[in-house]
Parts: sequence; structure tokens; C-alpha cells
Amino acid sequence: MTRPSALSAGPLRPLLGARMPTVATAVLLVATVAASAVLQDGFFTPYGLTSNFAAVLPVAIVTVGQVIVVLGGGIDLSIGTIVTLSSVVTVQLVAGQPDRLPLALGAGLLVGVGCGLVNGLAVAVVRLQPIVATFASSFVFAGLALLILPTPGGEVPSLVTLGYRQVIARAIPVPAVLLLLLWLAWRAVLAHRFGRHVYAVGGNEGAAYASAVPVTAVRLLSYVAGGTFAALAGFALLANSGSGDPFLGNSLTLTSIAALVIGGTRLSGGAGGAGGAIVGAVVLVLIQSLVFFARVPTTARELVTGAIIIVAIALAGLLTARGRGAGP
Amino acid sequence: MGWTALFGRPAKRTTWRSGAAALAGLALFAVGACSSPSPSGGGGDEGQDTFTIGVSNGFVGSEWRTQMLDDVRTVFDTYKQQGVVDELVVESADVDVNGQIQQIRNLINTGVDAIIVNPNSPTALNAVFTEAKQKGILVVATDQAVQSQDVTNVVIDQGEWARRSAEWLAEQLEAGDSVGVVNGVDGHPANEARWAAARQALEDGQVKIETVTNGDWDQATGQQVTSNMLASHPDLDGIWTQDGMALGVFQAVKGAGKLDDLVLTGEARVGFMRQWADQRQQGDFETIGVVNPPGVAGSALHIAVRMLQDKQLKSEVVSDGNTVYVPIPDVVTNENFDELWAEVQDEPDAYALDGTISAREADTYFR
Repeated sequence: MTRPSALSAGPLRPLLGARMPTVATAVLLVATVAASAVLQDGFFTPYGLTSNFAAVLPVAIVTVGQVIVVLGGGIDLSIGTIVTLSSVVTVQLVAGQPDRLPLALGAGLLVGVGCGLVNGLAVAVVRLQPIVATFASSFVFAGLALLILPTPGGEVPSLVTLGYRQVIARAIPVPAVLLLLLWLAWRAVLAHRFGRHVYAVGGNEGAAYASAVPVTAVRLLSYVAGGTFAALAGFALLANSGSGDPFLGNSLTLTSIAALVIGGTRLSGGAGGAGGAIVGAVVLVLIQSLVFFARVPTTARELVTGAIIIVAIALAGLLTARGRGAGP
Repeated sequence: MGWTALFGRPAKRTTWRSGAAALAGLALFAVGACSSPSPSGGGGDEGQDTFTIGVSNGFVGSEWRTQMLDDVRTVFDTYKQQGVVDELVVESADVDVNGQIQQIRNLINTGVDAIIVNPNSPTALNAVFTEAKQKGILVVATDQAVQSQDVTNVVIDQGEWARRSAEWLAEQLEAGDSVGVVNGVDGHPANEARWAAARQALEDGQVKIETVTNGDWDQATGQQVTSNMLASHPDLDGIWTQDGMALGVFQAVKGAGKLDDLVLTGEARVGFMRQWADQRQQGDFETIGVVNPPGVAGSALHIAVRMLQDKQLKSEVVSDGNTVYVPIPDVVTNENFDELWAEVQDEPDAYALDGTISAREADTYFR
């Protein structure tokens, strides 16, 4: 399977075609972890590790969902609101009682699948533009979340919030284990025929169709997978916060896109992967904490965070654009 | 294979540029590391007498919050001169709930003794508040009360705040007159508390509540919905509104040429008071502005410092198990307008009239 040379045409081509080189992603990871270890007292203590992994996990899960959609040539601007909608359904159903967890989690997961299905039908079957279709559906999902949980509230069983903060064998936080499971889930997707089809469709839809790849079904399924991961991210957020909020995950949409670009996934689809995206999520969350621990003045923090992220992403654009120019 | 699997597909080839990028990335962080002061020595615990205070603010889009942080710094500086506190660590950024959880965890990791938080959610920070308490850190919520019993709330009584202006409006009108209402955001805890109290006051004053709408605590939206309200209810006798929209309501009524026909409630912010001053010069315009003080966060710091010194709050100042209500500093009416306006007229339009309890007043809250 070679990387297709034909990209979607248009003025955005150089930008969308850019892809973070693997080495650059790895270097960013090493640099942010090293800087955190220096600047953040107690970074490697059990509490330090747990608090960082607890913050990374929801971002990482939603990014993996976005990666699957983007690899298939789409984009999901509603993914953060799916996180919110699933989480408010779950928190309303669980009502603080551990024995209702299976029901509540199942319902939350179904909501994620359902939202993904709506997006998938709009994009793959009705053939609306992904940006417009999912931007519109984001308002539907956000509005539903407000109807279901009009004011912040609801209680997650303490079993869940305490379990999320556990440290196994004094060094391995539970969220880190879950992050590993997330990566294994991605490997399972990749091992399946669906995983290879997603790359094919995102890379070159026409060629994929000519090779008997069921393009419509694959695109539809990529959105369903995105919605499913969004629901899982909602569960992680609930475990982290302990209560529901009708605006809980909405801002994760843009975070997920930034993380996947840092992680080396090409925005025009067909190249990249969830491993890098998880690293991208780690880098992004660490950068935000680093700015704090580096004692950057409050007023300058947003500026510095933004500048670091732009520099990180610009590395990708510069390197790939030149690399391709030199190629055949 | 493992490398490839972890990072997706391999880059076509690794060139010197990747290496350069790597160096650039490292350099960037090295610069960041060198130029910053040493992070150690932040914690003031372990029996020392000086305390480190953390502040977590999750919304920076309003002048009110900027003023709030300035007020905290002012109070902090007085305690610093007395040698009671040593460092103020401020976390202030536009964040979602997850981001504010991380803000608070960062403060916990820094080793602060107390955290003053203006919470983005009354419930969704419960778990991290419990973490802070387990680490022996005092958490005081301000502006917005939270449910967690691990936290002490220092807030103004939003119901009382709304009741003052609603009672005033009912007094200006006659029994049976009808009013329109421009509220903030449905479902927001402060909005619900304010509206419950204001509705009661209006009903007690035998005023008819004709129509209720939401202006999202935004002047422009407030102006728009008021224009619509005036068009669809031409017979209104008054409008009750909340903080942050009174200027918009005023502009809409003025635009419709109905300033003489309607009684409006106002707000204690400079932009509104400027219009108020103009109208007073032209005629007998009358309104009311109840102060919603950003300095409530400074009051929270006064309370927090005493709690860190192991003083006990009097049981009669604590409501609902964990809430301390500080008084509303001022109510602006025509009677005291000139005096208050002289103090603030050089401030920017977004400036809110302010007030913080004094150290001596804070002492009276404790045994």
C-alpha cells in the first residue's frame, strides 16, 4: 500500500497535505516530558503521574475517534458535543448508583454510535460536505445535551471517580492503563479489514472504489467509530470530574484536531495513525501545564501556549512541503 | 515494526531537516526552562507561618473577572506586607471543566496552602476538590457557590441581590401594572437563584409578570430581545433585568422612545451609569443599580487566610453547611448617585462598582 500521490485539489492542498514527520512527533514528546520533569515538582510521583494521565486520557480518546474520521477523508466538528451528549445521558441514568452503571454506560455508548450514524449518513449517503454537516449537527447534539441536563449536576458513583485515581503497584496510574487499552483498541481496528479500507478511502477515493472497497460503508462506519470513541471520552471525563455538565466536552473538538496534526495525521486523510495522535494529546496537555509551571505571567499564557502549538505544527508543514518538492 | 506501529506510517525518509526540527524543538523548551524562575520553594506548608495562595479562574472573557483578579492581588499584598502570605500563584485562562480540573491539580502540585476558585461548574469539580482536601489544602469558592462540602463558599446572596431591584421596581409601579423580564441564561445556577427571588418580590408587590425572555447576560442580546419585547407587548409598565444587560435594555427602550413610559431596573456599572447621568440632566429619570462586586474574591481571601490560621467560622455566618454570604456593598439610586458617580466616572465603561470586606469585618465572622 503506497501513499497516494493524488490529493484533493484546491488552494488548501499544501496545508491539508502537510503531515508531521514521525521523528518530529517523537522529539516533541521527549522535549515536553523532559521539560515537565525539570519544571514540575513531583512530576514522577504517583500523584503527579495520575493527574497528568487523568487529564490526557479524555483528550487522547476523542483524538483517536477524530483520527479515524480524518483518515477516511472526513472531519467531525461535532465530536466534542457527542462527548457532552453521551456524558449527560450517562450521568442522568446512573444517578449515583453503582448498580445502574452497566445500563448508563450502555446507553451512553449507544448515544455515541447514534450520533456517529447521523453524521455518517449525512456525509456518506446524503453526501453533504463534512465540515458543514458536522458543524450543523454539533448544534443539534449540544442542544439535546442542554435539554437532557438543563443545569450542571448529577452524580457519578464514587466507585468510578476513586477507581479512576487509583495507582497500581505504586507507579502505574489507572488512566495510563486505560490509555494502553485505547492503543490496543486502535491496533484491533487497524488489524481489521475496515482499518485498511479507511486508509484507502481517505487516500484516494476513486482508486479505492475501483479496487472494490465499499467506499460509502467505510465512510459511514468511520463516523460511527468516531462517535463511539467520543462516548468513551465522555466516560473518562465523567470519571475525572465526578459530575455532569451540559458543556462538559464541547471544546474538545478543536483540541482533537490540533492533537492529531501534532501526532502526524494528514488532515486531507489517508495518512497518519492513532499512536501518533495519542502522543499528540500527551504533548498538547503537557504544553498547557508547562506554561503554568514555567511561571509565564497569566496575561501572556494564552499567547505562549498558542505560539508553541503553532511552532510545533509549522514544523510539519515546512518539512513535508520541502520533502515532497524534492521527490519524483 | 513497533516504531511504525506506534507512530502510524513511517515518514518516507528521515532527512537532516527532521534533525534540525528536533533541535529547534529542544531549543524552544530549553529557552523556556532557563528563563523561568526556579519552581521550588513555592510551598509554604510544614509548620511555617507564611502561606502560599493559589487562584483558579476559568473564564477570562470579561472585565469583571479581570477586576476580580486585581482585587485578590490588592488584598494579597496587604497580607504579604504583614508577612502572613508569601506567594500568589494565579491560574487564569479560558478553560472547560476538564481544563479547570487540570488548573487545580497544577496548583495542588505546586504545593499551595489554599486555593481560591471561581468555578466553571457548581458540580463538575467535586472530585478534584476532594483530592485537594485529602492533600490538606483549603479550597474556597467565590462568585459561584459549589455543592461540594469539602469547599467553603464565599459569595454574595444572588437571591438577595435580585430581590433589592425587584422590590424597588414593584414600589415604583401600581398594583396590577405589568412588567417584562430580561433574564440571563436558563439553567445557570445564578440565573435561577436571582429569578426565583425576583419573581417572588414582584408577585408580592402585586405586579403582573407579562413576559419573560433571556438576554444571555450580553448587552447586545439584551438590547435585541428588549426591542422584540417592546414590539410584541406595547403596554408594558416596567422591565426588570439582571447584571450585564441593563445598558442594552436601556438602549432598546430609548430607541423606541419609551423612556418616559417605562420604569427600568439598571446596573452598577460605569457604562450604564454614564447614560443614567445624562438622563438625569435632561429630566427626572430614575432607576436602581445593585452592586455585584468582583471584590467578593478579595473577601474570600480574607476568609481563607483566617481559616488557614486555624480560626473557626461562627456557626451563624454559615448557611447551607458550607456557604458564607458577604454583604452587598452598595445600592445605587438617585439619592446617592452623585456621590458614587463622582468616584467612578473616570473608570472604563465595563468597570463594575466594587467592594471587599475589610480585615476587621472578616474578623467578626470568626469565633
